[in-house]
Amino acid sequence: MSRKRLAAGVFLILIASLVFPSKSQPGGQPVRMAYLQNDLHHLALWIALDKGFFIEEGVSIEVVGVFRAGAAIMAAFGAGDLDMAYVGESPTTIAAARGATRVQVLAQANTEGTALVVSRSQSSISGLAGLRGKTVAMPGIGTVQDFLLRKALRSQGVDEKEVNIMVMSPAGMLTALQAGQIDAFIAWEPYPSKAETMGIGRSLVRSRDIWQDHPCCVLAADQEFLKARPLDAQAVVRAHVKATKYIREHADEAVAVAMKYTGMDEATIRAALKNITYTTELSLAGEEEFVRFLSLIRYIKISDPQTFMEGFIDRRFLQGIRP
Amino acid sequence: MKKGSFLLPVLFLCVWQLVCTLGLLPPSKLTSPLQVCLGMKDLLTQGMPPGFLLPMHALYSLERVLYGFSLALLLGVPLGIAMGGSRTLRNLLYPMVNFFRPIPPLAWVPLAILWFGIGLKSAAFLIFLGAFFPILLNTCAGVLAVEPILVDAARTLDASRWNIWLKVLLPGSLPSILTGIRIGMGIGWMTLVAAELTGVRQGYGLGYMIMSAHDLQRIDEIFAGMVAIGLIGLAIEWCLARLSKSLLKWK
Repeated sequence: MSRKRLAAGVFLILIASLVFPSKSQPGGQPVRMAYLQNDLHHLALWIALDKGFFIEEGVSIEVVGVFRAGAAIMAAFGAGDLDMAYVGESPTTIAAARGATRVQVLAQANTEGTALVVSRSQSSISGLAGLRGKTVAMPGIGTVQDFLLRKALRSQGVDEKEVNIMVMSPAGMLTALQAGQIDAFIAWEPYPSKAETMGIGRSLVRSRDIWQDHPCCVLAADQEFLKARPLDAQAVVRAHVKATKYIREHADEAVAVAMKYTGMDEATIRAALKNITYTTELSLAGEEEFVRFLSLIRYIKISDPQTFMEGFIDRRFLQGIRP
Repeated sequence: MKKGSFLLPVLFLCVWQLVCTLGLLPPSKLTSPLQVCLGMKDLLTQGMPPGFLLPMHALYSLERVLYGFSLALLLGVPLGIAMGGSRTLRNLLYPMVNFFRPIPPLAWVPLAILWFGIGLKSAAFLIFLGAFFPILLNTCAGVLAVEPILVDAARTLDASRWNIWLKVLLPGSLPSILTGIRIGMGIGWMTLVAAELTGVRQGYGLGYMIMSAHDLQRIDEIFAGMVAIGLIGLAIEWCLARLSKSLLKWK
């Protein structure tokens, strides 16, 4: 065979493999999953993917998107492009309350795990009141971090209008803090810890000091998907529970997986993990607080929180009740 | 505006409302014109994010556009005239201009933040990029389009170089320059949303307002925000059209 022919053959095979991708994972139709960029809160997902827990439970996962903020994940749910996602409880509550997406929460992914970091050069700031007149970045309107920031400021009697709150992607916050373009930021881990290991920021307040045991990220699912494929959803929840347990029992291995997926250094990851609590237990009281405070700051309007929560949180999958 | 020019928009609105009323598309995908009106009311009374009202968003956006556009005008018109007058300069600059022109302003966002920080300067830079090239190229084309016979006629009348420019070339190219200014303003205004992706310090801006509405899943307010941008753009274009008409009265 001439060289040209060989090259043509190789080319054809390459094209064919692109057009007809081989299915490497078991099970039928994969579950279309999304998560937030570099967010350690969904470490359970990375663990389950890395350790093959989904395969063990007989379900295949297709990561269809890595998003910058929860609102974008909610838009993808609304477009019918997602089955499940690891995402903040606050944007999920907002989307469900607005009727923009029909999603339900099946399990908690983590509680706590956010921190407010101030620039090293702002040595005079010792508390939240010191943020008056300063520029504070957060990842998006309606995110858990936006929620926590406003809650924290209000608890200290600081009017939000006295603080320059601006929206920025967490990766951008690090460079902006370093360049002195912002004075502080609030973000999910590992960004606060990264700012500390880079030597550009110090933690001013951790989210557990703003609201202890506050719910953060959840495992959410599209209601149509739950109706059509309840067993797949159940399998994902089982893998999620297994992975969450794994994080608690194999700390070093969890650190290694976190480093692999975020590309961040060990010191940062270890510091970050100390700030996050991994649990699958859903808290109704926590969700009620989200509904109450989001209504207070006029992000949503819920006339009957109890009925809303019953439709929003579905514990059957977590309890292993056959749906 | 002629009476007929209202016919199509009204028809468009009717069809849009009908599609929504009949439920051909769910409200989560397409908000009806009536709901958009209610969203507009919320933007004016409640604000988005809550507490940040529409008129202030518009003011901050206009300020950004004004800065970027003025810069484009100050650099684009003189450079365009110079390029129109000098073949050497044209040959020198055309390749550069054609290289930078197709790069979308959105692609400049990270560099803008790096060079100019977060805020007005970055936003103005991006709007400048959008507005500069149409102004430059239309000015240059305008100078080139002046009929050589007019220049020759002026020369035979012993006009000085300065007078040829002032009395023949500049007036002759003015229609094209004004077209460039109108297109530049339009593209500058279009660049607004990208410009506000560089971050807004004060929490105001029409692009930022739309992104906040997206964050809070207010589809009606996203539509209303787009309507606001469209209406303001229309008003600016109307003003510029009036201005160019009065400047070109001699024609």
